[in-house]
Amino acid sequence: MSNCQDFHDDFELYALGVLDTDDQAKIDAHLRTGCTTCHAALKDALAVNAMLMSMAPEVVPPARLKRRVLAGVGVQRMSWSWLAALAASAMLLVALWLSVQERSRAAELAQARHTLIQVSAQRDRLLQALSFLNDPSTLPVSFGKGQPAPPRGNVFVHSKLGVLLIVSNLPPAQSGKTYEMWVIPKGGAPRPAGLFQSGGDSTAMHILSGPVDLSTLGAVAVTLEPEAGSAAPTTTPIIVAPVAGL
Amino acid sequence: MLWKLLPVGLSYALLQITLRFKDDGDLAKRLKDRDPRAMSDLYDRYGRLAYSLIYRVVRNSGATEDLVQETFLRVWNRVQSFDQTRGALGPWVLTVARNRAIDYLRSVAGKMSAGALELDRLESPVMFSNFDDRASSLDRARLLKIAFEKLTPTQRQLIELAYYEGLSQTEIAERMNQPLGTVKTWVRSALKALRDEIAGEAIA
Repeated sequence: MSNCQDFHDDFELYALGVLDTDDQAKIDAHLRTGCTTCHAALKDALAVNAMLMSMAPEVVPPARLKRRVLAGVGVQRMSWSWLAALAASAMLLVALWLSVQERSRAAELAQARHTLIQVSAQRDRLLQALSFLNDPSTLPVSFGKGQPAPPRGNVFVHSKLGVLLIVSNLPPAQSGKTYEMWVIPKGGAPRPAGLFQSGGDSTAMHILSGPVDLSTLGAVAVTLEPEAGSAAPTTTPIIVAPVAGL
Repeated sequence: MLWKLLPVGLSYALLQITLRFKDDGDLAKRLKDRDPRAMSDLYDRYGRLAYSLIYRVVRNSGATEDLVQETFLRVWNRVQSFDQTRGALGPWVLTVARNRAIDYLRSVAGKMSAGALELDRLESPVMFSNFDDRASSLDRARLLKIAFEKLTPTQRQLIELAYYEGLSQTEIAERMNQPLGTVKTWVRSALKALRDEIAGEAIA
């Protein structure tokens, strides 16, 4: 159609919307007929327009504009933030795991320390008893032999080391009670020589450390007393070991 | 457990980088699919062009920023009707950008908004479908630039008045104090010269 070529020359301006109203309307009407050559020509015109528009002098936009544009569309900037989030959560997991390890280790350590103290205390007592027993000046006094069931054992006295009591068949004292050892001078009142308990196996060991005047020592005794101990025996002695005459 | 995640993370990152360099058709599809990366890529590709174009029209950096944002928002909202298989994303984006700028100029000048409806129609994605590769290539802007510099100063002025100020031929005639018929002839010959330059290169 002869009309077409006329239109073609105006397609750039048509696409820009700067044709006069009449010319614009004519082209609109013609394009609506679906004229293929015109539609093809229009595409070329659009390409020319795009190229001319891209020829505007280059101005660099501020960096914040990209953020604004993305925010305006509601799209979060992905960039490397997902990797940062992954790293952060990984570090969090490691920290968490380490703290759990730390806590359990600390608990183990506390337990071990507690056991060590107990064992050390026991060892010290044993060592003390051993030195008592090993010392040539220690004098043994036994008690309760030959009697069924009652507590029996030995008392060891040493002028410098003190008094060592080793006893078996001594049942654990009831709740609220304790065993108390006494050193009884010849012709004198019993003097407190320490409190002790017997173990689950009904054995006990007790040491009164310090110098003992063997020349005046009459006997060593054990009574059952209230938990806090007594200044003087309040019950009949369970054990009596006479040491006079050694 | 952590070490297993790391290679997955790295390969995902590499995949993202390679996706950046696909062509416009792929970008249009990703925009339609609402791929979060697509908008960032679109801005990387056309943000500076849109900004430069709009700034050339409105000469105000504050307004330019607002209008660039409007442009990309409009593209985002209307891309669903864009034909990504044979659509020209670049020309469409630039048209939307120019139209925002011209609209703004006109509203500032207190002109009637009837023109806005017309522009709106002319930036419909449908207009930009069915492009062939030759027509849609923005690389050929270089050729056009050469052709543009070959135009006479008057021809260049006419082009700039139409493209960057959105003046109708009647308004141009008034501005240049020339008969409308003369302006029409000048404009047509200028555009024809540009068209021929590009067409000539395409054949060669």
